[in-house]
Amino acid sequence: MPPETVQPELPNQLNAWKDDEAALLESLEQIEQKHGFIPRHIAEEISRVLEVKLDRLRKLQTKVESNVRKEVDALVAKWKDEEGSLILILHEIENQHGYVPREIAMEVSHALGVKLARIYEVLTFYHYFKLKPPGRHNMAICLGTACYLKGAPAMLAEAKMHLKVEEGCTTPDREWHLDVVRCIGCCGMSPAMVVDGKTYGRLNATDVPRLIAQTTQPKASS
Amino acid sequence: MNKLKFTDLEKYSKTMADSGLNWIRVSMDTGGIAAGADTVCTIFEKGVGTLGFGVEVRRVGSLGYSFADPLVEIAREGMPRIVYGHVDDNAAREILEQHLAGRRLLDDHVLAWRNRSLAFDGPTTYILVKDTSTEKGDKTQFFQFSLAEELKRCNLQDKVQVVRALDMGVYDEGVAVQFLPSKVTYTNVLAPDIARIVKTSVQGKKVIDDLLYKKPDKQVRVVMRNCGKFDPENFQDCLRYGVYQGLVRVLSGMKPEDVIAELKTSGLRGRGGAGFPTWLKWQITRAVQRTPKYIICNGDEGDPGAYMDRSVLEGDPHSVLEGLIIAAYAIGATRGYFYIRAEYPLAVRRVEKAIVEARAAGLLGENILGSGFSFDAKVRLGAGAFVCGEETALIASIEGKRGSPSPRPPYPSERGLFGQPTAINNVETLAAVPAILVRGGAWYSEFGAEKSRGTKVFAVTGKVRNPQLVEVPLGVTLRDIVFDICGGVLGGKAIKAVQTGGPSGGVIPEHLLNTKVSYESLQELGSIMGSGGMIVMDQDDSMVEVSRFYLRFCVDESCGKCAPCRIGGYQMLQILNRVARGRGEKGDLDRLRAISKAMQKASLCGLGQTAPNPVLSALRYFEPEFKAYLEGGVSYARKMSAGRPAEPVAAEPANA
Repeated sequence: MPPETVQPELPNQLNAWKDDEAALLESLEQIEQKHGFIPRHIAEEISRVLEVKLDRLRKLQTKVESNVRKEVDALVAKWKDEEGSLILILHEIENQHGYVPREIAMEVSHALGVKLARIYEVLTFYHYFKLKPPGRHNMAICLGTACYLKGAPAMLAEAKMHLKVEEGCTTPDREWHLDVVRCIGCCGMSPAMVVDGKTYGRLNATDVPRLIAQTTQPKASS
Repeated sequence: MNKLKFTDLEKYSKTMADSGLNWIRVSMDTGGIAAGADTVCTIFEKGVGTLGFGVEVRRVGSLGYSFADPLVEIAREGMPRIVYGHVDDNAAREILEQHLAGRRLLDDHVLAWRNRSLAFDGPTTYILVKDTSTEKGDKTQFFQFSLAEELKRCNLQDKVQVVRALDMGVYDEGVAVQFLPSKVTYTNVLAPDIARIVKTSVQGKKVIDDLLYKKPDKQVRVVMRNCGKFDPENFQDCLRYGVYQGLVRVLSGMKPEDVIAELKTSGLRGRGGAGFPTWLKWQITRAVQRTPKYIICNGDEGDPGAYMDRSVLEGDPHSVLEGLIIAAYAIGATRGYFYIRAEYPLAVRRVEKAIVEARAAGLLGENILGSGFSFDAKVRLGAGAFVCGEETALIASIEGKRGSPSPRPPYPSERGLFGQPTAINNVETLAAVPAILVRGGAWYSEFGAEKSRGTKVFAVTGKVRNPQLVEVPLGVTLRDIVFDICGGVLGGKAIKAVQTGGPSGGVIPEHLLNTKVSYESLQELGSIMGSGGMIVMDQDDSMVEVSRFYLRFCVDESCGKCAPCRIGGYQMLQILNRVARGRGEKGDLDRLRAISKAMQKASLCGLGQTAPNPVLSALRYFEPEFKAYLEGGVSYARKMSAGRPAEPVAAEPANA
């Protein structure tokens, strides 16, 4: 039988639960610890709330999907007279989203009548196309020959240490994505790197933490 | 814009291009922008309004002196033209105040002129001075002070200003001075010379022969003729500087055969690396009867360390487009493509803009300039695959497929893009074509040596004092390029080798630097000219590391279609990794050579065939470094590689 003490807790916390799944989970664990089980009326209430929430999410999803379809249709229409347009379409998607999401690739496959495998064959071949979303900030360290000789490996090691990720990976909080690139054509001012689309040259390893800090809080440093 | 006619183009080219007396040109290529040229340009644009006289601010392509970005060139009425380097925001404000308003040059920013003259043609108004030796103790300040004092003694201090220069274009020649505006240059100036310099040269306008620097400038600008001169996004400026005059000549009466003949006279060969004669490629494609035909401009500059194509596309896109139209006319193509790396967004934007402008002016499209010839061009983006620089892979990529190469024959000239006859030319080749047609094939073939005619742009980078783009006639030596033009090794260290041709090329050791650069000579040394990357390595660079770096690049970039490249490259990398960790085995070096040979013979495309080159050439000239790893372990080998030059005997059996 649920003890009386639990009853008054429920309505207060529910409001918070609606938006915060982590808090919900924590509360549930607390309740479980306290009682050894989750009282039935609480479980039922939560299921009801979740149902409402799922319904809303589904609506959102359909909305997004129809949007995706519209977007892809527009792209396909734009390039339909071009021979070999697949790469052009993928370029536009990459530029818009920072990567090529699977849903969109599937939609492109429908619209063009090309098998999904053919699209992924192209996507995985070219380095420029990414399959995972980028971070909020992106750092690409040039590992062209000139940069390599003038200390880019040390810069890469420094960046790895500060961001705590390997090259080609994104930090767990999606703040930073670290990448290496093959020559950005700025060999005259090597070693160079690109942070959020801006190229920095004539760097050394000690500049890396400064650049990271400066990019993360641009207002505070200036 | 209305459609242009022949007469319009002629009229434009005859309008004085530099009609304004006062102008500022800011180099706005990717390198310049990365160094801050954008804000510098804004400062100038805001600042010139307050000067009280008209100054035009132009955003131009790069002059090529990448080491001094951001670059600014300034003309002021009654003053010599000055190129400033390392112009940051403060320097920009000072230029406005001192140079433009006060007619005084800034210290430590001026680049001396390379086209030095041998006689005075007027009174000297400025003297640039710099200590060019790499020894300790910079004497520049002392000489500036002494020269200024001497001028004061002769009562010339108001007429002549002494300025510390950023770079003199001569190196290891003691203290150098350049007199402006006459561009006479003295080197190895000593303190006792100061009095006679002021007396004889400044007052008497006579040259002191024993101080005069007589070596002429080795650079010749053909491909980069327009880079840094005008705003590539300003179409009318382009026309005023004579872009499209080559096309005018072609379409006003030359037959396609005449164009091909003119190129044959010029001796121009493919500048992408392989060196196939351009006229022959065009003739073969022209001879195939099927239509439509295509022409492709290969701007997929994937070779790490080379950036001349980017610079030309950014600085002079209209000339490349002009070259493409001429090529299309010669082979009978109706459609053309620019294939440009997506990593070069600025180049892509400028070429796209150039195409739109040319189409609006009737230089692209139906019936170009009323000649009956129709042609249109488009831009296609690369997507970061090195192998797509190979022509069959490039074609596959334009068709929207994986960029895997296919066996040749059939060559693209027979079955290329969409199965049709196609000619593929490099950016640099196409940029040279209009110049050849304006000035004649015979003029172009005067440059160069033996079978390699004309000029070539090299991107000299790595451990070099002044990394920059250099355009020289073929046949100059590597030493000329690295030491005379670029100032030798950074920090005065000993040079170990120069790497040419990127991942398909090889290293050339110090004792072979007197080799004349041509397609054949570099091939004999086990390297290639390639697209023109030239990377200087000093004594600290381990050749084992360098060959591992290039091999890893090729393994990453191998498309995986053919086994020799996919498996052979990987095996070689495993062996090299083992050697570099000090775990090498006895037969490893022979094993490397054997796999290399198999790859060279059996790979499908150029990538696999040339991937072993960096390793082979390093083995050829620096075998002791590899052996040190095998015999004495890692720390011993590192110590050895730092002090050890290549063995001349092993490398040149003929001299032994």
